[in-house]
Amino acid sequence: MEFDELQKIWDSQNQRPMYMINEDALHNRIHTKKAKASHITNASEWLLIGVNAGAGGLLLGLTVSKVGSTVFMYLLAGWMLITALAVLVSRIRRLQRENRFDRSLVGELDHAIAMTTYQVRLSQLMRWNNLPIALLVIAGLLEGGKPLWFAFALVLFFILVNFASGWEHRFYQSRKLELETLQRKLQQG
Amino acid sequence: MTESEQNNIFGKWLQQHKGQIFKVVRAYAATTMDQDDLFQEIMIQVWHSIPAFRKESLVNTWVYRIALNTAIKWVGKEQKYAKSRESLDTVQAVLQEAKVPLDERLSWLYEEIHKFDEIDRSITLLLLDGFSYKEMAAMLGITESNVGVKINRIKKQLIARSKQLNPYGI
Repeated sequence: MEFDELQKIWDSQNQRPMYMINEDALHNRIHTKKAKASHITNASEWLLIGVNAGAGGLLLGLTVSKVGSTVFMYLLAGWMLITALAVLVSRIRRLQRENRFDRSLVGELDHAIAMTTYQVRLSQLMRWNNLPIALLVIAGLLEGGKPLWFAFALVLFFILVNFASGWEHRFYQSRKLELETLQRKLQQG
Repeated sequence: MTESEQNNIFGKWLQQHKGQIFKVVRAYAATTMDQDDLFQEIMIQVWHSIPAFRKESLVNTWVYRIALNTAIKWVGKEQKYAKSRESLDTVQAVLQEAKVPLDERLSWLYEEIHKFDEIDRSITLLLLDGFSYKEMAAMLGITESNVGVKINRIKKQLIARSKQLNPYGI
């Protein structure tokens, strides 16, 4: 068949509906999804800001009010507050970059790639952030006279946290790779 | 824009452009469950896009672009999460296939379109729906010459496949 014939076959469907829509069900689904829609990046940013600022602030308050607190606890509280601030700044910068993408398919893909790149960086940063937090927590507890087995249990806990962070990081990396592959397909002839 | 205005526009767009959306759904999703899922995804994206519509393009082009873009991203996501999605037994289906049987040559054409990758499927749909190279280039964000190269290859493949023997006897 020549392309004109394929075109006629294609056009033949314009006169009859392919599907029927249950409009009430559609309306309900859209509103349910809209209510549920909490963007992953948005949620993880607020979670990181909240957890780090809350824990850092509480730790600082407790450390200041307690006589004989170790320097490690001050360092840990400071580090957590700085992390919360860094994520907040990073979020503001991300939101400022939101509108620079055009409305084409390439523009949408660029936007999705930029978003995933941001998530990859954020998850990498948080993964590395576990290391100073773990060291400071363990050093602070040992300095405070806690038993060695307790420190050992904490090491195991932070190893598990590191595995979980690694899984999240790889998830974003593979999403980014998929989008980049699509972008390449679009740009190649 | 109030939610009621947004709902009114959504209802109007749905009535006017559902034919285009159905084509995208059929071209990207194979099973009834997937078609329902993709249709809902596209509808949600269209609904969200209404306040951003600045009338710089035709509604037709705008809706088509959203449908294609959602479908392309949905393909990868769907492959990954197919097993974890809700069963249609537990939710009310939005799409029901029309009782009118489709021309078997049209079913064949959709099957051929399914064999293309996500990007070529978009270009094939735009081509068959009569968009110009210029419009396609603007919608996809690539050059007209790149569109031309891809279309040339797609046309050759479709014509060659139509000449092969197949169960429909075309």
